[in-house]
Amino acid sequence: MLRTVRVVFSKTGRARFISHLDLVRTMTRVVRRAEIPLWYTEGFNRHPYLTFAAPLSLGFEGLRESMDLRLEEDMPYDELVARLNTALPEGFEAISAAEAVHKVGALTAARYRLRFDCPPEKITALLAQPEILVEKRTKKKTMKTLDIRPAFADAQVSAYGEGTKVTVTLPVGNDTVNPSLLLQALGATSDEEYHLRVLRLDLLTADGKSFC
Amino acid sequence: MMNKEMLEDLFLQVQKPARYTGGELNSVAKDLADVAVRFAFCFPDLYEVGMSHLGMKILYAQFNNEPDVWCERVFSPDTDMEALMRKHHIPLFGLESRDPIREFDFIGFTVQYELCYTAMLNMLDLAGVPLRAADRDESFPLVVAGGPCVCNPEPIADFVDIFFLGEGEEVDLEVINLYKEHKKKGYSKKAFLRACADIEGVYIPSLYEPSYNEDGTIKAVEPLDGVKPTVRKRIIRDLNTCYYPEYFVVPYTDIVHDRAMSEIFRGCIRGCRFCQAGFIYRPVREKSVDTIDKQSHDLCRSTGYEEFSLSSLSTSDYTKLEELLDRLLDWAEKEHTNISLPSLRVDGFSDELVNRLNVLRRAGLTFAPEAGTQRLRDAINKNLTEEEILDTAAKAFRGGWTAVKLYFMMGLPTETMEDIEGMAVLGQKIVNCFYANPDKPKGKGVMVNMSASCFVPKPFTPFQWEPQTTMQELEEKQKHLVESVHTKKISLSWHDAKTSFLEAVLARGDRRLCRVLELAHERGFNLDAWSEHFNFDAWMEIFREIGLDPAFYANRTRPYDEVFPWDHLDYGVTKKFLISENKKAHEAVATPHCRQACSGCGAACWKEGVCVENR
Repeated sequence: MLRTVRVVFSKTGRARFISHLDLVRTMTRVVRRAEIPLWYTEGFNRHPYLTFAAPLSLGFEGLRESMDLRLEEDMPYDELVARLNTALPEGFEAISAAEAVHKVGALTAARYRLRFDCPPEKITALLAQPEILVEKRTKKKTMKTLDIRPAFADAQVSAYGEGTKVTVTLPVGNDTVNPSLLLQALGATSDEEYHLRVLRLDLLTADGKSFC
Repeated sequence: MMNKEMLEDLFLQVQKPARYTGGELNSVAKDLADVAVRFAFCFPDLYEVGMSHLGMKILYAQFNNEPDVWCERVFSPDTDMEALMRKHHIPLFGLESRDPIREFDFIGFTVQYELCYTAMLNMLDLAGVPLRAADRDESFPLVVAGGPCVCNPEPIADFVDIFFLGEGEEVDLEVINLYKEHKKKGYSKKAFLRACADIEGVYIPSLYEPSYNEDGTIKAVEPLDGVKPTVRKRIIRDLNTCYYPEYFVVPYTDIVHDRAMSEIFRGCIRGCRFCQAGFIYRPVREKSVDTIDKQSHDLCRSTGYEEFSLSSLSTSDYTKLEELLDRLLDWAEKEHTNISLPSLRVDGFSDELVNRLNVLRRAGLTFAPEAGTQRLRDAINKNLTEEEILDTAAKAFRGGWTAVKLYFMMGLPTETMEDIEGMAVLGQKIVNCFYANPDKPKGKGVMVNMSASCFVPKPFTPFQWEPQTTMQELEEKQKHLVESVHTKKISLSWHDAKTSFLEAVLARGDRRLCRVLELAHERGFNLDAWSEHFNFDAWMEIFREIGLDPAFYANRTRPYDEVFPWDHLDYGVTKKFLISENKKAHEAVATPHCRQACSGCGAACWKEGVCVENR
């Protein structure tokens, strides 16, 4: 009986520069290196079963990312996590593993911590506007205008050293709002070039609980 | 020190930043407190190309195997990254530590291709290191270089302190160890270089002075300060006991050859007369089945790679290939690992083995007849007959295959238009072979892809005296080939004759070309191996300004008694043998390969490998 195991892992530091496509390739090799008995698809072009619930943009860090593996034979979760940690490169850590409870579609939001190198007043002023319009590229490569004000409605803004910290929960899935859209909106209001560091704290289901 | 935080900001502004971040699986980090020698291993091309190179993987792991040596990888940044580095004054850095390589003890280049020379100079410049060796005092790193191009290193001789001739595993460490000794007792660059010159395989260009005849040819190369008059390359005598890495750095981003590689032998028994590698890596030395089996398995385990390839100049010449593949498949099949066999002759294989290997499924069918007629194949000593090609193609077509790739060269010595037509004729025969198969798949056509590169005469080959066919003539031949093909089942592609012309100039060039390269660098030439960066007219402008005729190097027939810029370097193969091979080429007479008969090339001086096998 094949079971899907959901692994929670973090991707920080140098690992944030690994794109999603590269992450898939890297993890396939990590799992092989860890000698975890991965299940391979049948057929002409056999490949291991390994999927990710929500891609993380290049440059973002994540504390509780989700990866599903399908195993050919059982392995205790503790051992699986330990083996992964011996095989993972710098910037990755396997945190836990468990049977997958939710379907991937149940993931509807993510909690982020954003760090801007601008004073908090800039962000507060931006968020105080009645609407924040940004241009967003659609899947069809056309541009559409989007109001991100509702998505950032309950963002918490505070000072963080010289800069600003924003904690916010944003939708993930069909109407994903990428946190970098706020930087884009900020750029439109100012001549200065600001930077944004994004940390994805957790993946959430519709009832606000952890996805994994 | 550079601002490492700023560097990370730059990573987010460039294409494929994983090429610059370092920290990949199996990359080596060391504590500086334990390190006596820092070595920047530079590949003068982009990460995707350099990370695919086996030699660099071997030496990287071997250097880092020394507790007090830290070797880091350095590649040429792509244009977007370079622009940002220059804008923000970020010097070229090692991927592992992100420290500027200007602070290292050695900057080492592997030079695989003549058109990478500009990238090499650009990397030195990005590192903040003067290009010319004479302008670098003790405060700068030593610039060293190895790889196939250094069999004629003269066009880059003014930029490099130390060249390593031949295989690097032993000689590189001997030099590093000597450096450590000299550092302990008070270091002077001059004294160190002089001491290095006594090590076999080490060529210190500043200690050899060429003089020229009035016609521009070399008069003599004079050894200075009592150094040996000729420098002999190094070889590894026993590949079974020689260091081979148990791990490779596994890149995050996609590279050209993204797989584990197992080297199965060095050298080549064939002696194709155009092929430099076939002469400069002699004699053939094999690894045992046990060694290859263990090394391959170790590498796959430590990297997690789902594919590995057997690497050599001609894998089907491995004496125990079937036994080896059986052994490898035993674990590879269980572990879902694919074996990839580049440029393999499958005609001798059983159907069962071909099936297990999936050779045809993945790679398709590739032949390198190099020339269109048997006469010309005999002249270049390419031992592949039309019958073998057609038999193998027929076998593949019966197995359901519909595509064949053919590699040819144009401008080979003694070539006529008849030989050009011969390429099209061979292509047509393969097409006919497909339609002669009664069980051919319904509704499917055949595709024969023919690719023709331009022949570049290289040092240490029987063709080192030959003129390169002029660009104009090459273009005429390309046109004639197009006109000779009468079917849409054959698709044609060819290399740019201009790139090959510059390659020919640099391959057999002398030290006067250093000035050309220096000027090319000053004018911002970089990454000329990439067609989008290569500006032929601008190169020709430099030759005009300096007053050197590129045709003198590329298109001139040399007499047998001419002194070559590389004559003071010794790769084992004698000039006498190369002359006799050149004469046989003009008579279209083939030479048997090393396992059929010894032709007395000179490589037997090492008394190793095929030279001492029982025949």
